[in-house]
Formats: sequence, C-alpha cells, structure tokens
Amino acid sequence: MKCKTVHKKIIFYLEGSLPENEMKKVQGHLQECSACLSFAKDLESTLAIIEKERYPEVNPYFYTRVRAGLENREPEQLQKKPALIRILQPALFAMILLLGIYSGFKIGKVPFNDSDVQASEMEIVPYLNEMASEPIESFLME
Amino acid sequence: MVGVLCVNSYREFLVEEENIIKGLQAGKEPAFRELVGTYQQMVVNTCFGMVHNKEDAEDLAQEVFIEVYRSVPAFRSDSKLSTWVYRIAVNKSLNYLRDRKRKGFRFSGESISGAGTSLSNLADEKSSRPGAGLEEAQRAALLYKAIDGLSEKQKTAFTLNKYEELSYKEIANVMELSLSSVESLIHRAKKNLQKKLYACYKKRCI
Repeated sequence: MKCKTVHKKIIFYLEGSLPENEMKKVQGHLQECSACLSFAKDLESTLAIIEKERYPEVNPYFYTRVRAGLENREPEQLQKKPALIRILQPALFAMILLLGIYSGFKIGKVPFNDSDVQASEMEIVPYLNEMASEPIESFLME
Repeated sequence: MVGVLCVNSYREFLVEEENIIKGLQAGKEPAFRELVGTYQQMVVNTCFGMVHNKEDAEDLAQEVFIEVYRSVPAFRSDSKLSTWVYRIAVNKSLNYLRDRKRKGFRFSGESISGAGTSLSNLADEKSSRPGAGLEEAQRAALLYKAIDGLSEKQKTAFTLNKYEELSYKEIANVMELSLSSVESLIHRAKKNLQKKLYACYKKRCI
C-alpha cells in the first residue's frame, strides 16, 4: 500500500471503520512507514480534542437565564396586534380616505351651466360694481 | 430480558416526552423547567460543536429554548421532541454563523493550509479553554478551523455524529435527508477534514 493511499484512509483506520483486510494493510504500512505513523498519531491527537471538549460544563444559572430571556420578550409579543386588526385597520383608513376624496369631489363640483353662471354674476356684480349702483354723472353733479 | 428492559425504558421516555409536550402546550412552568433540564446539555453541546465557543453556545441554547417555548403550540408530534429540538439548535447555530460570516467577524477567510493559526484565534481558544496547554489550544484551533471549512451540511452531519454521537438514522431525521445522503455527507466530511489536517501537518502548523 502506498503512502498516498494510506493518507486517505487513516481517519477511517483510527475509527476502526475499514473492512478487516484494509485495516490489516494500513496497520502493516504504519509499522513500516514512520512518516505515515507520525501523521496517524498527530491526527489521532487532534481528533481526540472532540472527545475532551464534548459536553462542556453548563452554567448552573442556565434555567434562570432562559426564564429571564423569555420574560423580557413576552411583553413584546403582547404588544403585537392580532392579525385581524392588523389587516382591518389599514383597510378602514383607506376607505375613510377614499370616502373623503369622493365627498370632496362631490361638494366641490360646480354645475357647468351658462345661465346659472350669469345669474350668479348678476348676484355678485352689484356689490362689486359701484358704477352700476352710483352712475358717474350723478356723482359729478353732486 | 435486556431487550424487554430497553423497550420499557424507551416507552417511558416517550411518555415523558408526551407529558412535557402536553404541559408546555398548556403553558405550565414545571413542564418548561423539565424541558430545559432534560435537553440543556444536549442543546449546549450541539451548539458548541457548531460554533466552538462556550459562551456563544450558551446564548444560542437560550434562544433555542425560547423558540421551543414559543413554537410548541404548533408542534404536531410528527417527529420526536428531541429531534425537533436538535433541528432548532442546528438552525439557530447555522443562522448565527451566517450572520457572523456576513459581518466578517473572526475568521477572515484564511485557509487552514495557509499561514497557520492566527494569534487572535489562538488567544480566543486559550481563554475559552483555561488549563489547556498551548499545543492543545493550537490543535483545537486547527481542528475547529478545519471543521468550519466544511460545507454547512457536512459540518452539521459531522457535528451531530461526533459531538452528540447520534446514529445516521437520527441525523437523517434531524436534517430531513435520506439515510444514504447522511452516510455520504459524513464520509466526505471525514475525508475533507483529513485532507485539511494533512495539509497542515505537512506545513508543520503545530
């Protein structure tokens, strides 16, 4: 077995997950090749870190922290409006706005009729046109 | 006899899980306390395997339990409670790592086969592992970097297998993948890890 082939199988050899004949071949190679043996030992020490690190000591106040975290967030949840209100509220505002615009148009709509315009002019002019109410001749005579 | 005992203990475990779920859905405080007590170690360990930092792992575990408490009314017992909790823990950890990557926090794209462990990373490892020797801290930093260099799926499958010692079937349930996909993921993860660590060994990183 070549060194390159062994390098690809060392992790499985260390786990003991290779088929029996391959385990023997790798083992035989490691007994002869010091470079591969050195790498196998190095890899074994590195992977052993996982065993050492597994199940870190847990904070004894962990539950208290979780509970506090939960209580801090509950008011936020309560502040959230129900889905129905969240949908209905903007819809209601939109309807009020449209109604306002529509009634604005209705109120502001001037009837476009010539006779009406003239009549309304006649109603307004006497107050504005002083000449009509007080002719210049009578003014000069006075 | 041993088989009967195993079946009985498994039934007890399922009944216990069911009681916790019912209690949580009814909003009972003792059920939540029991949930945290039962799964705390498992959740912290899983998060630690993903983020490699004890403080971050505890913060994430806290988030996991809050998420479980909030989502439990929608839990329909399609899977085991523990599988569901693992899934939340993995997703929270992955989201945290994505956020950290986006913010450019910590590892700045340096390859494992590159210049070796940076001093800041090593200092981090030393502080999070008091009592560990310099060589061990270096080894841990290299291993974590190699694991972080794996794809998300490979890393998740490898972590659940190595840190939590879950069977391939349990991992398949947590990751919602087929058994053959999980086998393939773990096989490739180990090969990639070995390759990265060999490159480092050749360059005498330690």
